Amino acid sequence: MEVGMTRPIRLLIVDDEQRLVETLSKRLTARGLYVEGVHSGPEALAVIQARPFDVALLDVRMPGMDGIAVLREAKKLQPLLQVIMLSGNASINAAVEGMRLGALEYLLKPANLDDVLAKIEEAFKKKRLEEEHLASQRQAGG
Amino acid sequence: MYLHSRVYAKMVAMIKIERSSRGALSPEAGAGRRARWAGTASHGRAATPPPGRRLRRTVLALLLVPPACLLLSALALLTWGPGGSLAFLIPVIAALAVWAALAWPLAARIRRELTALARQRDAFYEELLRLSRAASLGEVASSIAHDLNNPLAIMREEAGWIQDLMRGGDLQGAHTQAEIANALKQIDIQIERSREITQRLLQWGRDSAPQTESVDVNLLLNKTLYLLESELQAAGVRVVKELSPGLAQVRGGAPELRQVFLNLMKNALDAMRGQGGTMTLATRPERGGVRIEIRDTGPGIPAAAIEHIFEPFFTTKAANEGTGLGLPISRWIVEKVGGTLGVESREGAGASFHVTLPAGETLPDTGSGGR
Repeated sequence: MEVGMTRPIRLLIVDDEQRLVETLSKRLTARGLYVEGVHSGPEALAVIQARPFDVALLDVRMPGMDGIAVLREAKKLQPLLQVIMLSGNASINAAVEGMRLGALEYLLKPANLDDVLAKIEEAFKKKRLEEEHLASQRQAGG
Repeated sequence: MYLHSRVYAKMVAMIKIERSSRGALSPEAGAGRRARWAGTASHGRAATPPPGRRLRRTVLALLLVPPACLLLSALALLTWGPGGSLAFLIPVIAALAVWAALAWPLAARIRRELTALARQRDAFYEELLRLSRAASLGEVASSIAHDLNNPLAIMREEAGWIQDLMRGGDLQGAHTQAEIANALKQIDIQIERSREITQRLLQWGRDSAPQTESVDVNLLLNKTLYLLESELQAAGVRVVKELSPGLAQVRGGAPELRQVFLNLMKNALDAMRGQGGTMTLATRPERGGVRIEIRDTGPGIPAAAIEHIFEPFFTTKAANEGTGLGLPISRWIVEKVGGTLGVESREGAGASFHVTLPAGETLPDTGSGGR
């Protein structure tokens, strides 16, 4: 992707539908992203704790720990991580809760890959801006 | 539940009727309710008092007669003095005769009023059942739409992946061929999965057709469970089945009993949502019929709430999650066929709802099924 310029976008896909993660990873990797996929909330948090990501695609409804709970914890681990929620149904409650907790977008399944990609790029831009902003603040402060 | 606001308004109007009929014979209800009825009457439209009020008047009249008789005899005794002629008995006998003459029509009237109350109550619950069935159809449809969107999302990505490969040019390579074959196979798998999901919706429609007179409880429990499967899984709820084989068929209509099971399972699910747990479905023969238990390992029902949970519109759930109708409707359905619905729960130790249903061979009685 041209957006990144210096490095590819680091994307984490979290969905209990294993095949969806697999194929989505292949398609997005083919588009120049660095993609990792996991199938549950605890796995996602372990990976987020281990390495930095720019954007996460996060399924709302998963067995055990749901997407909202993952979002809450993920934001503590990586405050700059941009999260795009992905859901099978238009639950207003989940969408509102997700936004309140700092998710950037709320997409409905089955989403069009071009739309998903556009949101990912948008999220990445936002993250870069926030990083630059933080860096300049730090410089001004130091 | 997805309830239209007009439907909700109608339910609220009905609950008022229900409350007035329920309060009819309970003494503590009298004092509190009188003021409200007085208020209703002053609107000018309540020309005839509600049946509950008429019934209380009748009972009051009946109860006043014996003290009146006693009073008359006491007066007679005082008038004639002890040791006098037996003439003092005349007013007593007269009073008793009057009372007997009054009691017969009054008793008949009480019977009539009670029947009217029972009928009104049945109409109330019939209507509630109709409304709640429509609401749960909405819920089932929403849940099924959600389940369907996952295979759809996978199919879209598989088709997209094939397109990606085609755009890549090299279609003859063994790797590309294998990828395409794999994607097509996956699409077929997801179509089969979708078909099973739509089958559930079709099954729901089929089971809603009236009116089987006897029901295989184990089969119906399994079918109902199927509707909630993905929701239970998403909530982290494990299901344990302790179903006795070879149970008698029970009395009742499949759509109505399914509504009961669905309500009880949904309550168990809601109690454990977020924290996970175990839902146990148990059946066993009991006194010629069947006993069904639906247990959860949720937080249990607070002691203060447990005596109210079968009252319409009482709910411990959040405003947009529960209407407080599931349990009262369930109890009504079960009692209508001569069964019982009860609960045991301690705070912090889960809840266990038990349903008993009589076997289906005997003819259903025509009783109107009050509490």
